[in-house]
Amino acid sequence: MERITKHPIIESFDKGRKVAFTFDGKTMEGFEGEPVAAALKANGVMIHRYTEKRHEPRGIFCAIGRCTDCVMVVDGVPNTRTCVTLLKEGMDVRTQYGKGGTEYEKI
Amino acid sequence: MRRYDVCIIGAGPAGLSAAIEAQKLGMKSAVFDENHRPGGQLFKQIHKFFGSKEHMAKIRGFEIGKELLEEAKNVGVDVHLDAVVMGIYEPHRITVREDDSITSYSADSIIVSTGASEKTIPFEGWTLPGVIGAGAAQTMMNLYGVRPGKKILMMGSGNVGLVVGFQLLQAGCEVAALIDAAPRIGGYGVHAAKLARCGIPFYLSHTVVKAEGNGKVEKVTIAEIDKNWEFIPGTEKTFDVDTVCLAVGLTPMSQLLRMAGCKTKYAGGTVPVCDKFGETSIKGLFASGDVSGIEEASSAMIGGKISAVGAAFRCGFINEKEREQKYDEYSLSLFKLRKGLFSKENKGRTDITKTDEGIDLSMTLFKKGYMTEEELKKFVRNSEIKGPHPVIECTQNIPCNPCEDSCSFGCIHVGNEISAVPKFDENKKCRNCKMCVASCPGQAIFIVDNDIGDGYASVSFPYEFCPLPEIGEKGFALGRDGKDLCVAEIIDVTTNKAFDSTAVVTMKVPKEMSMTARFYRKEVPVNE
Repeated sequence: MERITKHPIIESFDKGRKVAFTFDGKTMEGFEGEPVAAALKANGVMIHRYTEKRHEPRGIFCAIGRCTDCVMVVDGVPNTRTCVTLLKEGMDVRTQYGKGGTEYEKI
Repeated sequence: MRRYDVCIIGAGPAGLSAAIEAQKLGMKSAVFDENHRPGGQLFKQIHKFFGSKEHMAKIRGFEIGKELLEEAKNVGVDVHLDAVVMGIYEPHRITVREDDSITSYSADSIIVSTGASEKTIPFEGWTLPGVIGAGAAQTMMNLYGVRPGKKILMMGSGNVGLVVGFQLLQAGCEVAALIDAAPRIGGYGVHAAKLARCGIPFYLSHTVVKAEGNGKVEKVTIAEIDKNWEFIPGTEKTFDVDTVCLAVGLTPMSQLLRMAGCKTKYAGGTVPVCDKFGETSIKGLFASGDVSGIEEASSAMIGGKISAVGAAFRCGFINEKEREQKYDEYSLSLFKLRKGLFSKENKGRTDITKTDEGIDLSMTLFKKGYMTEEELKKFVRNSEIKGPHPVIECTQNIPCNPCEDSCSFGCIHVGNEISAVPKFDENKKCRNCKMCVASCPGQAIFIVDNDIGDGYASVSFPYEFCPLPEIGEKGFALGRDGKDLCVAEIIDVTTNKAFDSTAVVTMKVPKEMSMTARFYRKEVPVNE
């Protein structure tokens, strides 16, 4: 999933400055002001969370804030819709387990 | 509590158009949108729109979006972003969450233009990361410049599936196939033809059996279905793709209207019952755009204006005569857009076999996305015409006429009925300006010269990919089905501002290929 560098119609994508953030503690780069989900996608991250009961992986589905499939724990806030949350420098983005944890509590 | 004459919910094509019109009619108007960028889905639409000049045809969606925003700003509309409208209360009050506070706004009229959301379809593995909506693909690639996947299977052959499928190719993704459970391609033939000539296969009467993979989509199996929508054993095909893109329809986002207590009905989703101005069963509460019934952006813009006219009358800004005058003007424009093979009244019909002009429709186009030469011959006569001239492969009645306007020499005729099939007037002389090729939103016009000497013909075609071919380079001429035909040499590449990012590429092919060769691919060395 790389970024598009040359496009026949879109001359340039409206991007902020390059910033660092962390995904499960790992440092990644993205552009300030783009959705967290876009930055994760560009870094090849597909799994945003695991479901509560069956521990199934979920990722981006609608990308416009409707479906809530892409929610993660962002800066400590669980159930954050990463597709409509804009990236800031130093953001702490974590895979969400179940309804809001960053790991399954003893199930 | 803050007050406006009219509050509009949703800053997409309908809402922005409504706000501009309302403001022009003297109403102090505000638009509220939950997103941080206005424009709804317009800024993701990078293709040229259909329709005629009055509908902003041949302009790309995102350019229309920019124009609307500019106009809204100029006329003084207040645009509230990151503003979630939580509810509509009697008589005309809305509560809005902006940042972490809630504000109440009152108005004399409210226009709801909340648009639609994508439908989905369940199959085994549909929750795996990598199964995404077509809108998500557009958002990722056209707004944020991130490819949604490397290799993609598109599900749904309506205009959304066809248009997004092509945009995926433009973004540099590979499209493995386009499938639809319906027996025929649902969108415009010209959109399908753009994909077909790039070699994308269509599988009609097919649906997904399952998507599989470890934590993400790695493999998708499809199969043919019978009349009862049951899988036919033995027809399974497997694709190694990382993404499944769903373009299986839209449903109106009418929650706010339902909460407000509007009378609703079912029309492909719950829609409000409205009069001709979009006024719901609650006086002064209007609905326009996709929320009042799924159509597309061009008609949503007109619908928005009509609702604003209705609201202006309701609030006493215009009288009944002015309202009717405005309505007549806008509804005529809307009427023109709602004609043709894909109009509401023809939706789902499979018994139409001829165009309005009485010419046999191409059945291959419905099944495979391209026309056979035999079918095309019923529309265009070519072999005896000397010199360069347009070959117009637009063979379905769709409301669109930029080709006619683009030719300053009057070579192309559509007429007052904009859904008529365009015709080349052989008595007029084509000057090979290629404007028609670049202007056609369906990329369905080619300039052909049957004889350029030494046994060769030339074919000019629209090209919207990176990189552009170079003059002198050699590759393969492709047929309408995207298959290699013969060696072709690029003899001209024209780009200019009036072409609006569409390049017109001319290739030299053997004479007998003049009506077969329609696309080009550079010969890729085997080791790549």
